[in-house]
Amino acid sequence: MLNFEEELKKFQPSLEVEDIEKAVYEEDLTDMSDILREVIEQTASHN
Amino acid sequence: MMDIDNAKRRHEKTNMEYTEKLSRQSIYWYNDGLKKANIRDISGAIISLRKSLQYNRNNSTARNLLGLVYYGRGDVVEALVEWILSRHFDPNDNIADEYIRNIQEEPEELEKINQAVKHYNQSLNYSMRDGEDLAILSLRKAVDLHPGFVKAWQLLGLLYIVTEKFAKARQAVRKAYKYDKTDEITLSYMHEINEIMRQRTVHIKESEKQSKDTVEYKVGNETIIQPAEVLFRESTQNRSVFHMVIGGLCGVAIMLFLIFPAVDSYRQKQVNQQVVELSDTVAEQKTLITSMEKELDEYKANADVYTIQETNTTSTIDSYEIVMNVYTRYYANDTSDADMMEEMLKVNPDKLGPLGRAKYDEIANLLYPRTCKRLLKAAQGKVASGDHAGAITDLNNVVKMIPGYESGSAMLLLAQCYEATGDLQNANAYYHKIIDEMAGTQAAGAAQSALDAQAASAAQTTQNQTDAGAQAQ
Repeated sequence: MLNFEEELKKFQPSLEVEDIEKAVYEEDLTDMSDILREVIEQTASHN
Repeated sequence: MMDIDNAKRRHEKTNMEYTEKLSRQSIYWYNDGLKKANIRDISGAIISLRKSLQYNRNNSTARNLLGLVYYGRGDVVEALVEWILSRHFDPNDNIADEYIRNIQEEPEELEKINQAVKHYNQSLNYSMRDGEDLAILSLRKAVDLHPGFVKAWQLLGLLYIVTEKFAKARQAVRKAYKYDKTDEITLSYMHEINEIMRQRTVHIKESEKQSKDTVEYKVGNETIIQPAEVLFRESTQNRSVFHMVIGGLCGVAIMLFLIFPAVDSYRQKQVNQQVVELSDTVAEQKTLITSMEKELDEYKANADVYTIQETNTTSTIDSYEIVMNVYTRYYANDTSDADMMEEMLKVNPDKLGPLGRAKYDEIANLLYPRTCKRLLKAAQGKVASGDHAGAITDLNNVVKMIPGYESGSAMLLLAQCYEATGDLQNANAYYHKIIDEMAGTQAAGAAQSALDAQAASAAQTTQNQTDAGAQAQ
C-alpha cells in the first residue's frame, strides 16, 4: 500500500501567473561553463 | 614572457575546447529530449532538456522545447517562465515570442488555467491537513477547468486510492497517463491500483471457492466443517426432490406473478381500447347530433323568418285589396260608414307603398272624422245611460281611427269607462298615454287628477285598514 505522507511529498505547489516574475528571477541558470570557469579561476589563483 | 603567452594560449585553447564540448553535450541532450517528447515521454524529455540547459543555458531551442513539454503536461506557467528566459537569452527571431503571444491572445483561457492551478495548490494544502474530501472537490474543479493538468490528475488519483475509490482512482491516473506516458508517479499509481484490484479479485475468488468446497454446521456444541462433495453425495436424492419442489414452486410463482398479470394486462388493454373506441364513437355521435341540432335550429329560425315574411306579404296584399275595395265603395257610395270603417281598421298603413298609402290617407281623411264624431256622440249617450261597455266599443274604434280625437277627449272618456267598469289596468294605461302623448291638454289634466284620486283612495283604504287593525288589537 502507498504511504500517503511520502507520496504527498512528491507533489509541489504549482506556479501561478502572479509568480511568473519571481520565478524568472529565481531560476537557477548556472550551467557547466560557469562551474568550469570557477574551477579554472580557483586553480589559477592557487597557482 | 614566452611561457606566459604559451600558458594563455593553452588556457584559451582549453576554454574553447571545453566550450565546444559543453555545446555538443547540450545538443546531444536536446536531441534526446526531442526524441522523448515525440513519443510523449514527457518526464524523460524534461530530464534530458534540463541536462541540455545545464551544459548550455543559452540553448534557446532546448529551452523552448522544455517550455513546450511543460505546456504539454499542463504546467502552463512553468512553460511561460522558460519561454520568457529563452527570449531573454535570444531576443532575435525567437519562436518563444510566438508561444507567449498565443497565450496572451487568450486571456480568458489563461485565467481558467490560473484558477485551476490555485485549486490544485489549495487541494495540496487540504491533503496535508487530512482534508481528503475537500481536496478531491478542489481537484475536481481544477481538472474541469484545465483537463490537461497532469499533476492535478495524479494527486486526484492518489486521494482516490487513499479513500479506497479504486475505480475512480484508475480513471484519474489514466487521464494523467494520457498526457505523460512515463511519469514515475503515474506509473507507480497504476501499478498500485492494478495490484489492489488483482488482490481483491483473488480474495473474492478464494472466498467463493472456500464457501463451495466446505460446509459448516453445528452438532451440539461442536462445529463440523465437512467437504461439500461428501454432503452432496449424501443428500443427492433429497436434493433432487427438493429441487423438483422448488422448480414447481417457481413455476407456480412465474404463472402467478408474470404470466397471469401479463394476460390480465393484455385483456385490460383490450377492454380499455374498446372503451376508448366506444367513447370516441359516442363523442362523434354527440358532435353529429349537436351539429344537426344547430342545423335544425337554423332551419327553424329561417322558417320563422319566412313565416313572418309570408305573413307580412299576405298582410300587405290584404291591406292593398282592402284599401282599393273601400276606395271603390266609398266613391260608389254603396256601403255604410260603419262597414267601411271596420274594413279600414284591418289595414296596416305602414305596409303600404306610396300609391296605396295615398289612397288610404285619402279615404281615412274623409271617412274617419265623420265616423269618429258619430261614434263619440253615441258613446256619450251610452255613458249617460250607464252602458259603459257599449261606450267602450265605440270609443275603442274612435281611438283606433284618430287616437287624439277632440284633443284627447275620446281617449279620456274611454279610460273613464274602463275605470267605471272596474278595469283599472286598461283605464290607467289610457290615462298614462294621455299624460305622455297629449301633455298640456285638458284631457291630460283630467287624466292626472283621476290617477291622483286613485292614489288618494288607495292610501285612505290602507289607513282605514291600519286603523281597523289597531282598533281590533
